[in-house]
Amino acid sequence: MTCREAIEKLAEYLDAELTPEVLQQLDAHLEICAPCRAYVATYRKTRELVAKVRRVQLPEDLKTRLRAFLVDHIAHTK
Amino acid sequence: MDDEADDLSLLERLRAGECRALEVLMGRYAARVHRLARAITRNTADAEEVVQDVFMTIYRKGESFEGRSALGSWIYRVTINAALNKRHGKRHQVETSIEEHLPGFDASGHRKGDRPYVLADWSQNPDAALLSEETRALLNRAVDSLPDHYRAVLVLRDVEDLPNAEIAEAIGESVASVKSRVHRARMALREQLTRHLGPRA
Repeated sequence: MTCREAIEKLAEYLDAELTPEVLQQLDAHLEICAPCRAYVATYRKTRELVAKVRRVQLPEDLKTRLRAFLVDHIAHTK
Repeated sequence: MDDEADDLSLLERLRAGECRALEVLMGRYAARVHRLARAITRNTADAEEVVQDVFMTIYRKGESFEGRSALGSWIYRVTINAALNKRHGKRHQVETSIEEHLPGFDASGHRKGDRPYVLADWSQNPDAALLSEETRALLNRAVDSLPDHYRAVLVLRDVEDLPNAEIAEAIGESVASVKSRVHRARMALREQLTRHLGPRA
């Protein structure tokens, strides 16, 4: 397996969707390839950081405005 | 308990005119709708209007939801349509080609780049550095600069943790296409983080 082939499979690797045969080939490649080990670690961390940075809660003022907007519209459409 | 009521029974109650059901659905979905809308519109004011539109649609057209798919998928589909409409004509600005941020390979399939760069592993850096204001801003800019059809899919997969199949249903594309976009988006973001956090050449 080449680095290009290994990197192509990372999404399925993280989702544990690789067949046992391909998983074995990928693990064997990672065993001998330091750049790909670094790539896997940083790829996995990228996913974590995206979740941490973008998983923001709804601001309270927006929540209040949304509730007021909906109550008002529902009252007018009943 | 309202908080434990399933989505379909909440919709039923909403159809019967019970405002409390809408309140519970808001608690369950408003933040997610807002995050997705913000990702697509890249604009806080537009995202707020999208959230309003989506909840009005849930209230008015909830009866058109037939329960064949998860309510969440339907809500995400409504959100994507509303957000794309909102930014109609506002394409361009910050979007860059994703190709320029994908890893390059030589003829033998090895990654291109000097040794310190391809070996850079910043994954063990302390959270204080990885979640600094500067890195957050860089990552937010990098997400915003992804093309439309990558941003929505990335947010649904990595922020909302939706299964690929549910995302495929929400955006009307194949599972293979969802997987490919998520992977390419992550690679593009990883590359930009590495340029920022990895060793300089």
